[in-house]
Amino acid sequence: MNGYAVVLASEELERVQAVSMIASVAASSDIPVEVFVTMNGLNAFETAAIEEMDFEGGRVAEAMMAAEDVSVPLFTEQMEKAKAIGPLKVYACELAMDLLDTDLEEYADVFDDTLGVSGFLNRAKDKQIIFV
Amino acid sequence: MSESEHEADETVDARGSACPGPLMDLIGKIKNVEDGSVVALLTEDEGSKNDVPEWVEEAGHDLLDIVDEGEYYSIYVKKT
Repeated sequence: MNGYAVVLASEELERVQAVSMIASVAASSDIPVEVFVTMNGLNAFETAAIEEMDFEGGRVAEAMMAAEDVSVPLFTEQMEKAKAIGPLKVYACELAMDLLDTDLEEYADVFDDTLGVSGFLNRAKDKQIIFV
Repeated sequence: MSESEHEADETVDARGSACPGPLMDLIGKIKNVEDGSVVALLTEDEGSKNDVPEWVEEAGHDLLDIVDEGEYYSIYVKKT
């Protein structure tokens, strides 16, 4: 198993959370995973959004944001944990960051680096690609 | 409360955490124990009793037992 390359282009909490769960379990099982967070996907990783638990999404997202006793770990927490156990890399899209005029410091501390399309394709060429 | 015939060398108490927390806690523990060790995972998450066996089979370990303890499940896994 060469692993998965995941493109996360959505800021919907459900999608972000699903990517984090699948990527985290795979990486914990020693399956390499590269997550490329691009376009609006980056919005969910903004420190301000996380601190205020303010995310886009539907019913599941609303339930997660409203829950006082949250038993589901937020995607950032899950990814950090998985990175300590297995081969999970998370990259932020350079182009989207240029457009948004942001830098990595404005995002949760889960990113290994910034990456462009060529860099992503190089990392993805031996992997199964999942586009979310 | 039911009892298992199996005795755990290590216990992972993941009660209170939801999918995939218990599975990830189990994976982390299994990685750090010797071959042949028995790990008991305590979980309230209903999904765990289906998802954990799937992982155990794929990873090549032995699922010894799943015990319904009432409020939670004890899942016994032997590292091979």
